[in-house]
Amino acid sequence: MPPTPTRPPSSTPAAREPADDVLLDPQFMHRLEQLEIVSRKIFAGKTKGERRSTRKGESVEFADYRNYVVGDDLRFLDWNIYARLDQLFLRLFLEEEDLNVTVLIDVSRSMDYGRPSKAVYAKRIAAAVAYIGLVNYDRVNLYAFNDRLLAPLTGLRGRRMMQRVVKYLTDLPVEGAGDFSSAARQFAIRHTQKGIVLIVSDFFDKRGFEEGLRYVLGRRVDAYVLQILAPQEVDPDLTGDLKLVDCEDSEVAEVTISRPLLNRYKANLEAYCKFVRGFCVQRGMNYLFATTQVPFDQLIVNYLRRRGLLR
Amino acid sequence: MTFLSLPTLILAAALSIPALLLLYFLKLRRQERIISSTLLWRRAVQDLQVNAPFQRLRRNLLLFLQLIVLCSAAFALGEPVSRFFARRDRTLVLLVDQSASMKSREADGTRLDDVRRQAGTFVRNMADSDRAMIITFAGRASVVCPFTSDRRQLLRQLDAIEATDSPSRIGEALQLAVAYSSKIVDVPGATTPLAAAPTANIELFSDGRLADAEEQVVQRGQLRFYPAGRAADNVGIVAIDVRRNYENPGQLSVFARMENFGPAAVTSDVELKLDGRTLSVKEITLDAAAPEKPAATQAAQPTSTPASQSLAFELTHEAAGLIELRIVRDDALAADNVAYVPIAPPRPLSVLGVSDRDPVRWFLERAVRGVAGTSLTWMTPAEYESAPESKLTDGGRSKFDLVLLDRHDTARLPSGNYVFFGGVPKIEGVSASGETDQENVVYWDETHPLMRYVLLDGVHIAKWRTLNLPRQSTRLVEGETSPIVALLAEPGRQSLLLAFDLLDSNFPIRLPFVVFMQNVLRTLPAGGGDLARMLRPGETLTCPVPREASEATILRPDGRSDRVRVGEQIVLTYGRTHEVGVYRVRFDDPQRFTAQYGVNLLDRVESRVAPAERLSIGSQEVAEVSGLERINQALWPYAVGLCLLVLVVEWWIYNRRVMI
Repeated sequence: MPPTPTRPPSSTPAAREPADDVLLDPQFMHRLEQLEIVSRKIFAGKTKGERRSTRKGESVEFADYRNYVVGDDLRFLDWNIYARLDQLFLRLFLEEEDLNVTVLIDVSRSMDYGRPSKAVYAKRIAAAVAYIGLVNYDRVNLYAFNDRLLAPLTGLRGRRMMQRVVKYLTDLPVEGAGDFSSAARQFAIRHTQKGIVLIVSDFFDKRGFEEGLRYVLGRRVDAYVLQILAPQEVDPDLTGDLKLVDCEDSEVAEVTISRPLLNRYKANLEAYCKFVRGFCVQRGMNYLFATTQVPFDQLIVNYLRRRGLLR
Repeated sequence: MTFLSLPTLILAAALSIPALLLLYFLKLRRQERIISSTLLWRRAVQDLQVNAPFQRLRRNLLLFLQLIVLCSAAFALGEPVSRFFARRDRTLVLLVDQSASMKSREADGTRLDDVRRQAGTFVRNMADSDRAMIITFAGRASVVCPFTSDRRQLLRQLDAIEATDSPSRIGEALQLAVAYSSKIVDVPGATTPLAAAPTANIELFSDGRLADAEEQVVQRGQLRFYPAGRAADNVGIVAIDVRRNYENPGQLSVFARMENFGPAAVTSDVELKLDGRTLSVKEITLDAAAPEKPAATQAAQPTSTPASQSLAFELTHEAAGLIELRIVRDDALAADNVAYVPIAPPRPLSVLGVSDRDPVRWFLERAVRGVAGTSLTWMTPAEYESAPESKLTDGGRSKFDLVLLDRHDTARLPSGNYVFFGGVPKIEGVSASGETDQENVVYWDETHPLMRYVLLDGVHIAKWRTLNLPRQSTRLVEGETSPIVALLAEPGRQSLLLAFDLLDSNFPIRLPFVVFMQNVLRTLPAGGGDLARMLRPGETLTCPVPREASEATILRPDGRSDRVRVGEQIVLTYGRTHEVGVYRVRFDDPQRFTAQYGVNLLDRVESRVAPAERLSIGSQEVAEVSGLERINQALWPYAVGLCLLVLVVEWWIYNRRVMI
């Protein structure tokens, strides 16, 4: 079976789920303000921010010494060392910059499946992560893809940008066949900044997902992979002699549903999820799995926190 | 392996298998469901490319099992058999022996069971196009099943055949077989396919003990013989006679002859009973039967001399009674171990003589007076014709037990017994035309009770009237061209015709005349002879009906009874005497038996139960067919078993699949 996220017993989907046309309700946004996105790596930012940067700068936190070269600011010379050793050393301090938080969501037609729809679920996750990033003065970028990379929303900073985020996600069409490799290639070309990249998809891509993930990894980002499946995909409620039509490419599979066939399907799904997980883990990516059955707020507040994406 | 019903197989397979495949093709129309991706289903289901139907069919286990079921069912419908012997015969006549010897006990049932088994196997082996009929024969032959191709009907009729105690007479059965099969062949001038039909084959299921086999000729078709039975151990009563002493009617003499037909010497007790009381037991020792000579006519009349022994018992009994002689021995055939002879009480006979010639009166009177207690009344022919009805008849029957008519042709013949000396009864079918002279007596029937011990060697008859007699008359003495003595039996009336004038022969002065008259007085009057109440199985029982009786009940030896309306009949006739034993006839009053009749086998051919080693019909030896060679092993039960097994497996697999 696919890995199942933990789920508090008190949570009931009906009570916690926002309406389909509302990505985040204000009460939940207020809870999100207490969270921040955590990166396992330290990246150089663009502007001053609240995150420690790889650059040395002007904060109060000492970082290192280095030999003085001509042209250095004399204010950072350590005169005490000069007095003892008769050599000029320059004191370096840590720089605090902003963090690039990028969410890459799958809006191919296969995501428009299940109840609630995987696409809506993915948009809510994107909105939540973006909001957390905006609140913490991180640089938030949103990308969407189906068989190509759609127009992104990049360089957002500050909670005022949340309106644009919501509009962008709301207006995102869920259509087209998925081609993650092609989209990831375009993403790698366009997205040159380092930072956290959260990829939200079902990874039901007949052309394979491996190449796309390799493109993303090539950018040396801290990548999180979130695979979302509908409960109807995990435990299909199908019976009888059926003609199954793929919603993306209209490919047909004629099957006679039987217990052995269902068992075989579930075994295949489990093996597939394990394969995705294994691929990610071997390459230093964080793999997360969730079904849309898991209440959205629980996923953000508990599940992603436990997995280390949020704090 | 061969199929008995190949067309059925082909038809069933041709209809059902395409229908099943068609159903599977129709089944490909499935409900459409849209899913997010067929990626995993594609991996789960190996046969995604279902648009190629044969690929789908090839991989469908249920279809495969259903095809096996259908093939098995069609295979079973084809009635497959192994070791089948193909025959070209189309028209078959099965002759089934149901004579007394068929009751012989064998190791596994009776001999008739063996015959039924063999005939049943034969019927089951018939091809669909074969037509067969079944004729049973014993004393008489009867068609129990007309020509049919329905094997089940034939088997049903075979099972219904019961053995009788009658002797084996195949002649009538052969005539029936030829007659029935000829209907198909002999269409005069026809060119229809019927005319071209092959001659019927006659399949004889018997033990080969046929009394009249050598007298027969198979005119048409081929006769094949399926021998049945093995048992040979049998001792039987082959002859019995009971006589009252002429001078002392209370004295009874019982003569019997026992014969051993088995392969071993036998010692046994013979028991004589009178009305159920044992009167005497004698021991007999009989040697083993002599082996049969390999003569061509052996089966018809055994010429060997089996060990046999005669016994005589003397007893005194003046009343009516039933004598039972029994061999106290358990052997293969029980029917010949017992003989019943009902005896009538000696009663004075009342005889009327009609003659106007003193010499004749003198001869007849002396002959009649010889029988004790006989009263003789004389009339002249004129007095006879003019006598009032009350003087001659009583309730429509003659007042006299016997009427002797000398040279008197008369039509005044009330129900009774008449002896015509030189005269003829004026009844339909009987006439005398001219005279025959200068001829000799060439034949007389010594076996007839009337002619017993009557030797006509020295009897000369100068001339006699040329008699024209109906066919059913029995000719007892014959000249070269016309009968001399004949017995004419009609319902209620027996007429013994002597065509000659007594005074035209030396018969009255010869000893045979006295013997003949004794036979006439003992045998002819109704109930006057014991032997008249002794019948062979299958013979017709005749019994005079008392006045005002309306219904007769015949109590059979097997305990059942038959009711016969006698109404205004004078004589009761009853033909169902196929079983050995005592038949009791009673009229109206249920408590009173008015007559008893003993039916005894007394047949050396039937008593010789050992099956004939070879059978000859006429001069031709009949090919013997071993039953074992023809056994077909029916394979359809195995096919049906496989069919059921596969159905169960298919059901299990189907349920396992759909149960979610």
